[in-house]
Amino acid sequence: MSILEVRDLSVEFAQRGGSRLRAVDNVSFALRAGETLALVGESGSGKSTVARALCHLVTPSGGEVLLRGEPAGRRGRALRRYRSEVQLVLQDPFASLNPSFSVEHHIHRPLRISGHPRAGIDQRIDQLLQSVNLSPPRVMARKYPHELSGGQRQRVAIARALAPDPAVMLADEPVSMLDVSIRLEILNLLDTLKRDRNLALLYITHDLATARHFSARIMVMYRGEIVEQGPADEVILNPAHPYTQLLESAVPHAAASRAQLAAQRRERLQARKADPAAERREIAASTGCPFRARCPHAMEICATHPPDFEVRPGHTARCWLHDRAPAAKPAGVS
Amino acid sequence: MTPASAAAGPPSAGAGDVVLRAEHVSVEYAGAAPTRAVRDVSLELRRGEVLGIAGESGCGKSTLAYALARLLRPPARLASGTIRFYGRDQGEPVDIMALDAASLRRFRWSKVSMVFQSAMNALNPVISLRKQFADIFAEHVPEMDSAAREQRSRELLEMVGISADRIRSYPHELSGGMRQRVVIAMALALRPEIVIMDEPTTALDVVVQQEILDEIHQLKDEIGFSIVFITHDLSLLLDISDRLAVMYAGKIVEHGPSELVAARPAHPYTYALLHSFPELRAERRELRGVPGSPPDLRATIPGCAFAPRCGFAFDPCTPLHPGLRPPSHTSGLALAAGPPGNWTVACHLHDRELNPAGPPAEIAPCGERSAPAIAAREDR
Repeated sequence: MSILEVRDLSVEFAQRGGSRLRAVDNVSFALRAGETLALVGESGSGKSTVARALCHLVTPSGGEVLLRGEPAGRRGRALRRYRSEVQLVLQDPFASLNPSFSVEHHIHRPLRISGHPRAGIDQRIDQLLQSVNLSPPRVMARKYPHELSGGQRQRVAIARALAPDPAVMLADEPVSMLDVSIRLEILNLLDTLKRDRNLALLYITHDLATARHFSARIMVMYRGEIVEQGPADEVILNPAHPYTQLLESAVPHAAASRAQLAAQRRERLQARKADPAAERREIAASTGCPFRARCPHAMEICATHPPDFEVRPGHTARCWLHDRAPAAKPAGVS
Repeated sequence: MTPASAAAGPPSAGAGDVVLRAEHVSVEYAGAAPTRAVRDVSLELRRGEVLGIAGESGCGKSTLAYALARLLRPPARLASGTIRFYGRDQGEPVDIMALDAASLRRFRWSKVSMVFQSAMNALNPVISLRKQFADIFAEHVPEMDSAAREQRSRELLEMVGISADRIRSYPHELSGGMRQRVVIAMALALRPEIVIMDEPTTALDVVVQQEILDEIHQLKDEIGFSIVFITHDLSLLLDISDRLAVMYAGKIVEHGPSELVAARPAHPYTYALLHSFPELRAERRELRGVPGSPPDLRATIPGCAFAPRCGFAFDPCTPLHPGLRPPSHTSGLALAAGPPGNWTVACHLHDRELNPAGPPAEIAPCGERSAPAIAAREDR
């Protein structure tokens, strides 16, 4: 069942000179209880802005957000109720915790704000700390952020997000600031919490591998648009949009031998040399497909903005290559 | 020193092959209880190779890199050890630690240069690229006239795939990837023999990261320099490095050819690290990370520093300090690893005297009892 539904969400920012930048462009998706949805893309693609808009930290310029079928509250009591249902875990646990307050304080406040009575609040704090594997909870509760490691801090941030007993958790790059060896522990923790609490989890990341391994579905964002979305394995192992293909191919092949790697490298360098417009990535196409300036398969029709085409059931790509019309498809695109 | 630690000395390659040799390097951060960030590390950098240094944050990898270029600043200091540089000119080896201030200035950048993690901070925001390049030449090649400087700066930009016209730009006018390229171009300006790269692509997107790594490789092959490449991203390191040194708690715990170490890690920590990130295209499997956290480097660590987190720890691990030794494997793999000392591991499990049964299947590089386990891993 979908808990949070996002329809045609757009966010615009004013730019110098009066023009407006569309950071999020008509994005629609649904978060289901007990399911992880990954949102992947490069920095600047708008993925964090989606999370911020869902938390009402920025005001969307268009679209609507439905929580359990009801429009999200925009102010006052309704907004507070919405916020206690939709919680955010931020990237940097060194910045997201207040250094002058104890761990306890960080969890106490959201509990009180979401209406938890004073009685029994300590037990509730202990429960929450235990649920994120911070033990012994009484000892951890009295600590201050500087006494904790990065992984422990992120656990506190997760406990804080869990305090109002949310239905939806938005995790914006929750492990990218952490050490490799503890990333998995945090991701496994989020996974367990999702299962135990039937949370709807939006996992925002630039890391395709963890996106694939920890989520059921993946959405790929490019310049504010969802250009491809579908089941996680399908999107990664069988990418349909040229942008997803580019992202996928840029991840090192652990299984390849030295000789294979060297050959691939030469090939890429040659391709880049043959195509001297190395800086064209900087140029945004103002109309049509936003990726067409970088796309190796760009065609005339790409000047017209593509709709979503169904590649396979439940898997769509916003790319003319997947138009069922009999236009010739270049080789190399399935 | 225990008998085990004397088993294998520093690896050695043929003469003339080595460009930098560090022996028994220890670095301390002064304090009430000094933090011993690098503990008795010996390594060699060979001409034209990429040496990867991997490890968690706080394991001493950046400190080691700074020590190699003698860039340590108080409270860090080199507590012991020697670092020698063997120049292309085949002259006398240079003892980096013995250089006086003037020769050190000449030595840095022209022989050993460094690419730091954050290109945003490495460039001066209020000075154009032209001036920043010119400064390098003014300092190191004062005889170069301004036309020649300009010419060379433009060449360097073109070399890293940036249009020469960009020389007028200020850092904020460039994207993150371009800034990192500029920093790499600057590091190569004086044709150094060694470039130390400390997390050079960590802040960048995957696509840009790949482009830059490709370029680094190409430049290395064309110009011929050696790279010390430091990152916590092991999958990246396996992709770019020829040899790999895995550091834990200030020590190198495994050191060998990347390809072999990746396929058959001999140290339990290397094994754990390799299993702490999912592989993009592989079958889904259960991943565990490395439970626990690294030890406090202010303390003296009895025995193996990884033992408290190690699933395979046995009696000798805590009292006895493991030295680097060749992993116990059969002749086929030993042959692939090259001359003895080319692949070493600091783990008692590979010591047949302490552990007659041989290492457990996960970290046994080869051998009969572990053959099925390895076959299974390769199937994935």
